[in-house]
Amino acid sequence: MVDAFAYVPAVVLLPFFSFLVALGAGKYLPKGGAFGGIAATAGSFLLSLWIAATVAGGRAYDETLYTWAAGDQFELTFGALVDPLSALMLVIVTLVALLVHVFSLGYMNDEGETGLPRYYAGLGLFTASMLGFVVADNLLMAFMFFELVGLCSYLLIGFHFREPGPPSAAKKAFLVTRFGDYFFLVGVVAVFATFGTAAFAGEGSFPALAEAALAGDQAVWTPGGLDVMTWFTVVGLLVLGGVVGKSAQFPLHTWLPDAMEGPTPVSALIHAATMVAAGVYLVARMYGFYALTPTTLAVIAFIGGFTALFAATMGVVKDELKQVLAYSTISQYGYMMLALGAGGYVAAVFHLTTHAFFKALLFLGAGSVIIAMHHNEDMWDMGGLKARMPVTYYTFLAGSLALAGIFPFAGFWSKDEILYEALVHGLNEPLLLGGYVMGLLAVPVTAFYTFRMVFLTFHGEPRTDLAADPEPVRWNVKGPLTVLGSLAVVTGFINMVPVQKVLGLEGIDYLHRWLDNEWGGIDGLSSHHYADLGPYSSGYIAGGEVPTVLVGAAVSLGLALAGLGLAWRLYNVASPTEHTAKLGGIKDVLYNNYYLDELQVWIAYRTEDIAGGADTFDQGIIDGVVNGVSSVSLAGGSRVRRIQTGLVSQYAAMLTLGLIALLVLIGVNGGWFL
Amino acid sequence: MSNALPAWSALSPALLLGLTGLALLLVDTIRPNERSNTSMALVSALGALASLSVTVWFVVAGTGHADTGGAITLLEGAVKVDTLALFFTAIFASVTALVVVAAHDYFHDHANPAAFYSLTLFAATGMALLAVANSLAVVFVALEMVSLPSYALVAFLKKDRGSVEAGLKYFLVGALSSAVFLFGISLVYAATGSLIFGEVASGIESLGSLAGVAGIGIVMIVGGVAFKTASVPFHFWAPEAYEGAPAPVSAFLSSASKAAGFVVAFRVFTEAFPLGASLAAGIDWALAFAVVAAVTMTLGNFAAAVQEEVKRMLAYSSIGHAGYALIGLAALSSGSAGNEAVMGAAMAHLLVYGFMNTGAFLFVALAERWGIGRTFEDYAGLARRAPVACTAMAVFMFSLAGLPPFAGFFSKYFLFMGAIENGFLWLAGLGAVNSVISLYYYSRVVRAMFLDDPATPSALDAIDVRPTALYAAVVFAAVATVLLLPGFGPVIEAAEAAAEGVIAASGSF
Repeated sequence: MVDAFAYVPAVVLLPFFSFLVALGAGKYLPKGGAFGGIAATAGSFLLSLWIAATVAGGRAYDETLYTWAAGDQFELTFGALVDPLSALMLVIVTLVALLVHVFSLGYMNDEGETGLPRYYAGLGLFTASMLGFVVADNLLMAFMFFELVGLCSYLLIGFHFREPGPPSAAKKAFLVTRFGDYFFLVGVVAVFATFGTAAFAGEGSFPALAEAALAGDQAVWTPGGLDVMTWFTVVGLLVLGGVVGKSAQFPLHTWLPDAMEGPTPVSALIHAATMVAAGVYLVARMYGFYALTPTTLAVIAFIGGFTALFAATMGVVKDELKQVLAYSTISQYGYMMLALGAGGYVAAVFHLTTHAFFKALLFLGAGSVIIAMHHNEDMWDMGGLKARMPVTYYTFLAGSLALAGIFPFAGFWSKDEILYEALVHGLNEPLLLGGYVMGLLAVPVTAFYTFRMVFLTFHGEPRTDLAADPEPVRWNVKGPLTVLGSLAVVTGFINMVPVQKVLGLEGIDYLHRWLDNEWGGIDGLSSHHYADLGPYSSGYIAGGEVPTVLVGAAVSLGLALAGLGLAWRLYNVASPTEHTAKLGGIKDVLYNNYYLDELQVWIAYRTEDIAGGADTFDQGIIDGVVNGVSSVSLAGGSRVRRIQTGLVSQYAAMLTLGLIALLVLIGVNGGWFL
Repeated sequence: MSNALPAWSALSPALLLGLTGLALLLVDTIRPNERSNTSMALVSALGALASLSVTVWFVVAGTGHADTGGAITLLEGAVKVDTLALFFTAIFASVTALVVVAAHDYFHDHANPAAFYSLTLFAATGMALLAVANSLAVVFVALEMVSLPSYALVAFLKKDRGSVEAGLKYFLVGALSSAVFLFGISLVYAATGSLIFGEVASGIESLGSLAGVAGIGIVMIVGGVAFKTASVPFHFWAPEAYEGAPAPVSAFLSSASKAAGFVVAFRVFTEAFPLGASLAAGIDWALAFAVVAAVTMTLGNFAAAVQEEVKRMLAYSSIGHAGYALIGLAALSSGSAGNEAVMGAAMAHLLVYGFMNTGAFLFVALAERWGIGRTFEDYAGLARRAPVACTAMAVFMFSLAGLPPFAGFFSKYFLFMGAIENGFLWLAGLGAVNSVISLYYYSRVVRAMFLDDPATPSALDAIDVRPTALYAAVVFAAVATVLLLPGFGPVIEAAEAAAEGVIAASGSF
């Protein structure tokens, strides 16, 4: 039988070839190279399914494919690591990428956009980079693809580069995430310096070495003989810098709402499966390392919980469809970080999975609305679209219910599990409990802004002529929506832990078993192993596990319904009005995103002052020396030119003088004349 | 194998060159109607290639190598054939072949090109003789044998004022230098009582109160070498001669003639004035070379950086390269194990330099043949009309600058590393700084050819011919420059073997 794992590189390379084809020959292809991209991602998707099936068959894959630099201390390699986590992620990424490609036919081609080869080339490279990142078997390779992902997001967000907004948004996305990546890079170097390897899996991997070092079985380098635990915490936080940037966590989340300037399918790809997911995936990938350092975990949990609440509040007042979704993305990734910090590895991956589907769905749904509305994104100009675009409405509704966490949609199960993990582990950990409380408070807010969006867009009476007569969308929009709509409904059933716990039905927590290597995987990369490493113990309220599950689920569902209900009351009317004025002074704060952009600009200017000093040094001293050397050599050259007078008598004189000088030098040196 | 041949046959590379020259002269004199530019060029190229083949065969067969009975001495020890001599003869023969092939097109409309070929071959004969010289007298005679045809060659374009003026200046400076050199030889003879290198060496060991006399003599010989290698302060002739001379002659002088100066230096200063004995007598000629090398490379590169004309820039760059090669003598230290390495590297650099510098001057010859002007600006946009030749020129420029992956990088790298290992970090550092400066002016040529736009659209219309032989010579030199990269292993080994041979021959070094 042919080995599925032999095709792991092909999964990455297929979209890369579509990138090359679109770039090189897109002009001559029908649809600007779209079909190449669709074929490539479809191929990658099928291969990913096959690979996932092979993993389910009890096998895993961890190979170094190419060593590109080898030294005495360590080797720098490219390799592939396929375990349950990466196999799952491969399926998610390729599926979302495939659907985004198909959707783009409707959103880009049918709308008569120009520069399509560039667009499809960007999509292909974006997908390929993310897939390379997913299968990376070491931190350095992960970093390189992480950067490629960042580059592609820059290219795609700035796709409409002739307008003023997109290039600036692209620049912002690039710079803000680069700020985080800077710490990540230092972290990668620190990992190499500490462990001499950056491999994720196996006996000699850096999480395994870190575990051994903490147990005292392994000596590792630390700067200045720093305590091992302290140093690991520092390294973990450094790498976390990249995660915070890419996954748009507070305080580096500011790039993401601006990134809405990119074409909507790109937003779907960025938010659901690639760029933003990369950060969370990285933490999950090296969870064996993070689980060792309680401080890092607590920081992750707190940042996550805070971001979840903080972003949700800003989503409440936005007027544009995609802006609301942008803040919901930040908020939802906050939940994932909360889960990771709370020791809920499976819960985080679960939410990553469900969120990938329902957020892709929501963005594509929003894209569909935007096509219908001729690229007007203001929700106050919509209304009543429900009757005129039923497919979009019902799929969008499914996605919204999932996002709001309403039973039994996908988001309910995953969000509930996150909050449950945070609660049971947080009862003994004040910081974690704080994260839990913020996560819980974000639930009604999420439900509120989600349904505010649904009601404003689809319910009530059309508020403009455009909304009364929207442009119809074609199969290439409806098809992806239908697929994702179904997934948003059913994905939650892959991991019905509460049902299992309450009813005692064993074995329906498929994702738990999948990530616990029940079907196969790599030792040391199982959720069970992570739970053993983690610092947390479980506590329960209301006298036991089952009541805790029930109370937790009931509280979060109740809060979600409350938020939904409020939105219903305020906005599900024939002609809704703005209620933001009631918020008073808070409104301005929320509209202006807590003035964080202003703060960052202020910081940037202060940094510029410091950089100005460095610049003065560079210009004045470094460049001065360099310029000095060159002008000295040019001036010296001119002198030499002047010596060359063309008069032979002078030559003879200088020649003789030179010889005499040489004679005197050697003679005095040798002491001939003494 | 060579044992089967009579001993004098060891001189056959030089004899082949000389006989070819004589044959050309004969035909030119007695049957002036039969001569044609093509046949003359063909015969001289064949003669040079025959000499090259024999030389390579000798090197491969190990003639004069310690493994096959050591160096072959002839004529009462006045002549000695060893690996060093063969290595340099190979350089001379290769450059001669390239130059005569290129000259065929360069002199296509010259009234009487025959003299050019015979003069070139006689000069080459002198160089080959210089390589085997084992006596100061032979060195002087051979040196004059190189110089006199060179003067004539520089002034070969009798109707060109620049050419004639350059020839005259070259001759005057040359005469002065020859006098200095000869005076140096006489002083050394006075102090040591011999002209044969081996005997001079033993004389140096027992100089007594004559150390000062021998010292002045040796420094004057350094001056003679400096003249031939175009090193400071005997370099004044070089920019003008290279610029005024026909470009193939510039190529010949700056590559082959310079290498001839170096072969003398390498042999005389290791075999006749071993460093150990010289130092004991207070004659630190390595210091003299270090000073000359440092000043030469700096002056050459600085001056090259401000030139406006490509040919003159190449002339100064050629002076700079002489400075690099002098490191091979300057960075020697008595009893050090690294001496073979650094001297071998200098020889290898001269071989690589022979191809890349000849190629660069032949490209200039091509440009002169087209008549497109001499300055950097005149070369603007040339790559559009002559991509092959310009690519070859880019190879020469980058190789001269010492950029990887060209052969010039490796030879320079070995040279500087050898100097560092022998404790001459400052010299290697100065060489590296100068290489950086050189990158500036070499890349100017490349930029002009490939990136700049021609001053006027019709500026390049002069390129209406494709001189086959000149093209072939340029391309061949480029191919050799590139191929010397994979082939650098054997080259550096042969060069180090040659260096080892002369250093071993000197006994106590």
